Amino acid sequence: MSTSFWTRFLGNPRVLLGSIWLVLVVIGALAAPLIAPLDPFAISGRPFVRPLDGFVFGTDSLGRSVWSGLVHGARTTLLIAVIATLAAVAFGGLLGALSGFYAGRVDNLLMRLTEFFQTIPSFIFAILLVAVLSPSTTSVVVAIATVSWPPIARIVRAEVMSLRSREFIQAAITLGERDGVILFRQILPNALSPLIVTGSLLVATAILTESALSFLGLGAPNFMSWGFMIGAGRSFLRDSWWLVAIPGIAILLTVLSINLVGEGLNDALNPRLRTL
Amino acid sequence: MRLVRRLALIAGIGLTVFSLASEPALAQRRGGTLVQITQPEPPSLGSYISTANPVGQVASKIYDGLLEYDFDLKPIPSLAESWTVSDDGKTVTFRLRSGVKFHDGQPMTSADVQFTFMEVLKKVHPRGINTFAEVTAIDTPDAQTVVFRLNRPAPYMMAALSGYESPILPKHVFSQGDIRTHQNANRPIGTGPFKFVEWRRGEFVRLDRNADYWKPGLPYLDRIVVRFIGDTGTRAAALERGEAHIAGFGAVPYNDVKKLEALPNIQIVTRGYEMLSPVVELMFNTRRAPFDNVKVRQAISYAIDRKFVIDNIWFGFGKPTNGPISSNFAPTGLYSADVTNYNVPDGIERANRLLDEAGFPRRADGFRFEITHDITPYGEEWRRFGEYTQQALARIGIKANLRYEDVATWLKRIYTDYDYEVSSNHLFNLADPVLGVHRAFHSRFIRPGTVFVNGVRWSDPRADELMDRATIETDPKKRAELYAEVQRIVVAAAPLAWTHEISFATVLDRRFRDVIVSPLGLFSSFDRAWRE
Repeated sequence: MSTSFWTRFLGNPRVLLGSIWLVLVVIGALAAPLIAPLDPFAISGRPFVRPLDGFVFGTDSLGRSVWSGLVHGARTTLLIAVIATLAAVAFGGLLGALSGFYAGRVDNLLMRLTEFFQTIPSFIFAILLVAVLSPSTTSVVVAIATVSWPPIARIVRAEVMSLRSREFIQAAITLGERDGVILFRQILPNALSPLIVTGSLLVATAILTESALSFLGLGAPNFMSWGFMIGAGRSFLRDSWWLVAIPGIAILLTVLSINLVGEGLNDALNPRLRTL
Repeated sequence: MRLVRRLALIAGIGLTVFSLASEPALAQRRGGTLVQITQPEPPSLGSYISTANPVGQVASKIYDGLLEYDFDLKPIPSLAESWTVSDDGKTVTFRLRSGVKFHDGQPMTSADVQFTFMEVLKKVHPRGINTFAEVTAIDTPDAQTVVFRLNRPAPYMMAALSGYESPILPKHVFSQGDIRTHQNANRPIGTGPFKFVEWRRGEFVRLDRNADYWKPGLPYLDRIVVRFIGDTGTRAAALERGEAHIAGFGAVPYNDVKKLEALPNIQIVTRGYEMLSPVVELMFNTRRAPFDNVKVRQAISYAIDRKFVIDNIWFGFGKPTNGPISSNFAPTGLYSADVTNYNVPDGIERANRLLDEAGFPRRADGFRFEITHDITPYGEEWRRFGEYTQQALARIGIKANLRYEDVATWLKRIYTDYDYEVSSNHLFNLADPVLGVHRAFHSRFIRPGTVFVNGVRWSDPRADELMDRATIETDPKKRAELYAEVQRIVVAAAPLAWTHEISFATVLDRRFRDVIVSPLGLFSSFDRAWRE
């Protein structure tokens, strides 16, 4: 199965391209201090130096290197997006699983709670949370996770509900297996593929949310991020396009790549396509 | 009604023709609409109760004051034709102009002036409470005479009588009901050159020419429309295209001002802020270690590269400084340059030396200690100033973590809870140091809960005493000496690090003339403004 998964996954050229870009971004983020030794906040040159004029991507209004910002920003942006997504998947997954497994009153209660969160416009809610908690890495992660878990809960619930009525689960229940064991050993592994696909797409949404928050000045103030770079550069758009264009293209490519990879995962993990 | 207006118009034209005839050298023309951009939209138009910047930009066209001021900050007659101050400085008599009418047709008399100061400004005006604290009574021997009785001399009071700072209100309107929640706050009735017509929330305020204005022939303009445009880029574009004609106070970001300046239809005016004089300062919490140590505060004062800040953050619209009093006070003699100069080329070395002496050696990681710097939440340039400060502090071995909060939370942190280490702000000097400067470091102004006062909680008996003496000193020369010493003491002690004076820039359409003719700039009445 493993070989067929990889062939199916990387066989698609679009997925391959997306994966290559993502791997580059991850390497850049991990090796940031090596490939961009300048502190992204350090005033390291004249302000508004054009790209390729001593600095690869030029400098911003305070003379900070855009290349450093881009690489170190990848770190912040990815880290926040991945942690927030993991938190959302863990919380939403747990809630959805409980809801789908126990059904009845528990389901009713948990789903009404989920709906309550779903009715609040998610970005406005995220702004509110960050403003109340005061901007920091933790509050941005909490805000993104809080607004992104409901769809996960919905998907997991539906998946668990359908699995719960299958024969192998009925058998496990009849054998007297404990609820926890059934849920985590039998049901969840079988519900994993939609979770992975949704989760990967959620990373893309989280990157956009984080960037939008930073753009509005609500990002973590001590961490460089792509959204912050765009927000800080937008007033100079007419003269110094690169301040906005470079991080903007980085966000575009990364989010696009994640979507391509997510799509690839979906195709590769889809049991119907698997048998073909 | 229409007929009345038309008659008024004809009368206005008649007056203009008359004034043109009497002063043939001037080419002023009647007519035209001036579109002013004010940002943000004011919360109300009650300038007698709110000193918020946008309120003053609108209300100053509607209300007159007893006096106006020239660019040397000297008083000139307005509603008061003449005035005398007694030798002991405790009695000030104003002779009011006769025949002045409010916009509703009622005559303006001494009773209105008495009501305005005693019942309104002294009680509810945020600064008036202080400015007129010494006024114990106002006598009105006749309809045109007003006598202020003071407990102690208050020379600074004479600088606070403009229509912006102390608007004269109609007693017959504002004495009815509670002044704090008065219905006419947003339907103002004054004696000024423009009458309030309409306020469409989120869009504009329309002010029309007061045909019965007491200055013959004035105002020249038919109308002023104050527009509220939320988006920065749209504001600049409206000015560029000539749809709007004037904007000031950073309504257009400094980098865009530079761009607009290059256009043939626009000029940039930096005059008209002389009675405001904002000075940027870094604030130190002087009662919290290590900022209770004067050497640490001085070190940071040395570490700020004023030229870099002005050139790259305020895009040239600033002037380096060391002390609390703006150089705009140079004509009055109150400004002194004879203070510690922190703006030196070897500032970083001096700062490092001071920190070593203060007992904060660099640790293995290169830092001496770690602090939190609260960014001023006023917008982009303040954020960049915060980021710059972080870098400047890093160069002298202080690791600063930035914190960014909304305005209300930040104000509470700085001026109520005092739960901060370093932050920044800018205070207006206003018309006199007593009004705008004392509040930053006089110990009487350590008032938890009051914003824009002594949030650094610095207290020095000698400086307090000098300021108290200067408050009641009527001899300009002696007053200047007192302030020179205040500046020497406070700059050396560095409870705040004053970095630069902001030179606000007004973007003005070249077709309009004589718009900025007062040190109050956008806070003046525009009665002489005219369109080519």
